[in-house]
Amino acid sequence: MLAIDAAAYRSPWRRHHPAAKALLAGGLLGCALVLPPWPGAPVTAAITLAVALGWARVPPRTLLRAARTPLGFALTGSLTFLVTVGPDGLGWADGGVRRAADVVARCTAALLCQLLFAGTTPLADTLPRLTRLGLPVTLVEVAALIYRMLFVVLDTTRRIRDAQAGRLGTRSLRAAWRSLGGLGSAVFIRSFDRARRLEAGLAGRGYTGSLSVAVAEIPLKTRFLATAPLPAALAILTTLTLQSLP
Amino acid sequence: MTTVHEVLERSGVTPVHIAEGYLPVTHAVAWSAAAAPFIVHGVIRLNRQIQAAPEDKLLLGASGAFCFVLSALKIPSVTGSCSHPTGTGLGAILFRPPIMTVLGTITLLFQALLLAHGGLTTLGANAFSMAVAGPWAGYAAYLLTRRLGLLPAVFAGAFVADLTTYCVTSVQLALAFPDAESGFTGALAKFGGIFAVTQIPLAVSEGLLTVLVVRLLRTSAAADLIRLGVLRKREEVPA
Repeated sequence: MLAIDAAAYRSPWRRHHPAAKALLAGGLLGCALVLPPWPGAPVTAAITLAVALGWARVPPRTLLRAARTPLGFALTGSLTFLVTVGPDGLGWADGGVRRAADVVARCTAALLCQLLFAGTTPLADTLPRLTRLGLPVTLVEVAALIYRMLFVVLDTTRRIRDAQAGRLGTRSLRAAWRSLGGLGSAVFIRSFDRARRLEAGLAGRGYTGSLSVAVAEIPLKTRFLATAPLPAALAILTTLTLQSLP
Repeated sequence: MTTVHEVLERSGVTPVHIAEGYLPVTHAVAWSAAAAPFIVHGVIRLNRQIQAAPEDKLLLGASGAFCFVLSALKIPSVTGSCSHPTGTGLGAILFRPPIMTVLGTITLLFQALLLAHGGLTTLGANAFSMAVAGPWAGYAAYLLTRRLGLLPAVFAGAFVADLTTYCVTSVQLALAFPDAESGFTGALAKFGGIFAVTQIPLAVSEGLLTVLVVRLLRTSAAADLIRLGVLRKREEVPA
């Protein structure tokens, strides 16, 4: 299982309705994007981090590991703001550091909001409820199928990789390329084979095209729903207060 | 024992999915609006396909999972570094661009929520570059070069799809963050320059990997390739 999804399944917020968690994380995400980056982004990031670690108890290690790669993108992309391209070639950009800091701060705050939702809500809880937002049933069913098959395919990939490594399949660049080609084709063949066997099994049970899956009922708790907008409200209030300071 | 996710994390390479919060709100909304018609078109095609053959739903599920895993594979780049293929070229060749647009968008949503690669507000921008522009450009290149043979056409399709994805991402970033002095053109040169160093070799690598995969599939899964319309009966290679 993938680390973020595993954390979501273990989360104490697992039994809260995805809509309430979306309201909480979405409100904070809105703050991260709309409030002025200074002090809005650090304030939103601090509140989100406090909610994630203190209230939702998302494992800090999971949060850190998940944030590394997208923050790498933000930092690399922001390096371009430090230079400017003029008629004389490259030069240092005036206000480039400030612009880069704005984007990295906004990106960090928004990323934490995304991780707060992802780290507390398993996709299996969210997907079946997407039809209520007006998304076509076929699309949601295909997405749910992809999600279910994903872990089997990932496991198959891991097993093939380990088998290739055990046979010195990554010893040289040439061998690594050959192994990678074999891995890609083997995963394709096994995925299709598994889908066909699943189809045969379903056909034997009278499959007509509809994949009805029992969705666990999660009650929408009034108290949690009422407190969900509070972190965002706190972020707005703190930002406005800090801005009004001389 | 390693997991694909661990391999992905250890590669130390930043993906080109635009991270959550990186784009200003107006740009995020505009790119979502730009991608929406293609996604709707893809969903209509998907609906029609499933209505005609309900059993295809399971194959599409398998295809989506395959696309996700393909984009998580670590490939050695020509420059010696490592990165991940987009997988959009192979997906477009196997399943056609409209279906790939839907599968690609679902893959991007899953990458955002399961791996934190890309974001929810930047889903539209990422979908436009990786699930719309990449597959359509790659498929066009594949069709244009198909008369040269299956493998050269597959290379062209994967190479063009990969490169187009990164070019469109550069355009998206340049539009969002124009250079202080030279505006959009200067910003495009900066973002394009950064991506070109890694992405041109990576596009070559993805093209080569896709050729290797299809070459093996031609011998071991010819029936599937014929069914998908990728392989002609006379091109079948005995196993």
